[in-house]
Amino acid sequence: MSESAVATQSSRPKIDLVDHALTLIIVCLVGLVMNTVGPKIPLADGFMGMVVIYFITLVGLALTRFAPFYLPSVAWISLVGIVATLPWTPGSEWIVAQAKSVNFLALATPALAYAGFAIAKKEIEVAKHSGWKLALVACFVFLGTYAGSVLVAELILRLQGV
Amino acid sequence: MNAFRGQLELWRLHLAVIVIGAIAELIGIQKIPLGAGAILLLPLLYAFIMAAVMNPNLVPKFGKIIRQKEVQAASPLIVIAIMPFIAKFGTTIGPAINTIIEAGPALLLQELGNLGTIVLAFPLAVWGLKMGREAIGATFSIAREPNLAIIADRYTLKSAEGTGVMGVYVIGTLFGTFIFAILASLFASANLFDPRALAMACGIGSGSMMAACTGALTEVIPSMKEEILALAGASNLLTYATGLYAGLFLALPIVEKLYNATAGKKDLATAQKKEA
Repeated sequence: MSESAVATQSSRPKIDLVDHALTLIIVCLVGLVMNTVGPKIPLADGFMGMVVIYFITLVGLALTRFAPFYLPSVAWISLVGIVATLPWTPGSEWIVAQAKSVNFLALATPALAYAGFAIAKKEIEVAKHSGWKLALVACFVFLGTYAGSVLVAELILRLQGV
Repeated sequence: MNAFRGQLELWRLHLAVIVIGAIAELIGIQKIPLGAGAILLLPLLYAFIMAAVMNPNLVPKFGKIIRQKEVQAASPLIVIAIMPFIAKFGTTIGPAINTIIEAGPALLLQELGNLGTIVLAFPLAVWGLKMGREAIGATFSIAREPNLAIIADRYTLKSAEGTGVMGVYVIGTLFGTFIFAILASLFASANLFDPRALAMACGIGSGSMMAACTGALTEVIPSMKEEILALAGASNLLTYATGLYAGLFLALPIVEKLYNATAGKKDLATAQKKEA
């Protein structure tokens, strides 16, 4: 997984839009099940919300493929979601209302399930080999990065007085 | 349509994800009180654990249900499954555009806070655990894909620095969501910080780390749910834009200089000890 991730960073990936569009249907259906079971959002509402989310994702992917400059697909998808919901975008109120019927944590649950199934022998080897020292360092890396970010943001917000 | 048929052939994997996910959602969010604060357990964490337990590489007896074919197919599916999640986050940013603009300077500058990893993790790695050049790769960043690319580019992933960044990357992939859910719930229940600052800091990692972090935050501070989602999403987007450069031009050079300076001193000290 890691090596392919590195490769997509350094060269613009050729995204097969049809492949992705079809696979996304399955992923969105799985997400819809979570959305209905966990947060108990009525299926009809959740379905419309998921359709909106689906199309935002597809437009984002199309931009990743065809835009004149390269941004990672997640960045493009995020941007499309933002532009579609800005107050001055026509129809944004409707899109916002639909998207509200999709719970963000419910969408994360299947992603983490796939991640659990994706653990490969190689990753177990790295974790075993690198051992407890790197695990401890990793915890401090996360703590340091999070705390550092909180402190800087807190400081700037206070200086701004907002 | 080949891709679709390909996915249908993976029905075992998708069905397992649906069943596991549904069980996880039914368990729901659980709170474990801890002193003044609390640790939050989220459905995504149970989903990860249950899937890992069914992973044939960890528990071989499940190899009959989930085969290596499914394991290999699951990896690219993580990225696809995170896409609708990112789209949902995008839709929380648009309506909150005024909040985002107001917090703009804090959003832009909190990227510098990522250097906090150097303050906390570097001393532990080099002086506490006496690590070698692995420490450079391990502590210069939060070790997500763009940071891996930086190290791969400069040292290759087979170098000592590469081992360091890969180690933290793997630990982050395996336990990042847990660590972030715990960090966020503890920081939030400490009542010391502006929830907006806590939200912005949620955006520093991968999509799933952000999910765990914001999930925990919105549970502790439900009244600010919309604002938290919007700020975390905006911060995550900015991390793609600025994080790579902050890592490449700031964090990595700093860690390298620090390491060279202190390793040099250490050598000097051992040399003096021998003389004495």
